[in-house]
Amino acid sequence: MNSRNPLIKQLIIHLNDISHNKRFTGANEREILRGAVNSVLLVKKINPKVHFQFVKSFSKCVEQIWGYQQLIAIVEELRTTGYDSDNLTHEQKLYDLWANLMPNEPLESRVTKQWQDIGFQGDDPKTDFRGMGMLGLENLLFFATEYKTVATHVLSHSNHPLYGYFFAIVGINLTSMAWKLLKNGDAKSYIYNVSKSLPTIRLFHQFYSYLFYEFDKYWLDCRPKNMMEFPNISEKFERNIKLSLNDPTSVFRINISVDTV
Amino acid sequence: MGLLSILRKLRSSPEKELRLLLLGLDNAGKTTILKMLAAEDINHITPTAGFNIKSVIADGFKLNVWDIGGQRKIRPYWKNYFENTDILIYVVDSADKKRLEETGIELYELLGDEKLQAIPLLVYANKQDLPNSLPASDLAQALGLPTIKDRAWQIQSCVAIQGTGVKEGMEWACKTIKKK
Repeated sequence: MNSRNPLIKQLIIHLNDISHNKRFTGANEREILRGAVNSVLLVKKINPKVHFQFVKSFSKCVEQIWGYQQLIAIVEELRTTGYDSDNLTHEQKLYDLWANLMPNEPLESRVTKQWQDIGFQGDDPKTDFRGMGMLGLENLLFFATEYKTVATHVLSHSNHPLYGYFFAIVGINLTSMAWKLLKNGDAKSYIYNVSKSLPTIRLFHQFYSYLFYEFDKYWLDCRPKNMMEFPNISEKFERNIKLSLNDPTSVFRINISVDTV
Repeated sequence: MGLLSILRKLRSSPEKELRLLLLGLDNAGKTTILKMLAAEDINHITPTAGFNIKSVIADGFKLNVWDIGGQRKIRPYWKNYFENTDILIYVVDSADKKRLEETGIELYELLGDEKLQAIPLLVYANKQDLPNSLPASDLAQALGLPTIKDRAWQIQSCVAIQGTGVKEGMEWACKTIKKK
């Protein structure tokens, strides 16, 4: 990464720019990968006919490293898009969240106390997304749609008479945790191990779903007296997650545990 | 933030620890005020599940600021944090007229509590930048603040996301503590 060769330096600037602007996709991606590999072959005087495995492996590395950078940019764009109740797409996503979590209970109106049943603070969820913006809603919606059984199960735990918590609010705080782990690079081991090609937003949503599922288990295990223990428990939980992310072998299991429930 | 300069003025009583309690309905802006005081980024705040605490240390002073979640179901736990409070800071979303009555009821519940007896009250009339917000003076009337006789109180208009008015409120708080 710290090459003094001007061509390599230029290549890195180029790759950073491409990934930050989310242009590392489709035909463009293949072109960029080919260019990156060729530059290195040229500078390091590597014969691709002799070292054909290098071409394949190095191309994969570039794809993963700058794919991760691009994922940060994609996630950041969603996070900085605030929830807008005049935006019909946003509104529909909110309705979909309800429909997936509470299939047997129709929503009486857009503004209603019913939202508290899935753990929002008041009668209109729009103020709860705050600094997590649409990322918070997209995360919740993915969890509720793609892991419907798990999410409904977790929601029922959140209504536990003794160890209950606020499903949506905790979910939005977990979005913040997942976002931080992605940004500071802790999630690299997970993303690198799980993605077979260019990492997409789905992978981030899966990572989030895993966190939610695991947090719910951890919270119940802690037998908290009340919601005021959240800061403490979530800090401990985050520390555990960081530890398992540090260990490259345990990462694979993370994915399985969500998929098989 | 200018908080350092306020704290410098308090040099007469060094090593003093102050306990500030931030309360108010959900979405009032308590965490934003807390982050502003601690000079932290306010662009990725989440709803407070439980509480946040920050200590701001300067010139031998330690301000322990407790920010407790405002959600209705959390409010019963507010009282667990009353002990040894030096200043009660109550944050109101001045544009949320629908919940003006609710925020008033919660405030008077606090003022009636034994543990908060005679504790100075600072009300932040937050979100003054919103077009339909109530000016601080109107809010004071609506909340009946002028009828409070058992403690020092102050209302301060502010726009927490811009930091406007936050400092002025803290100046009043520190001045009041000094007099005690």
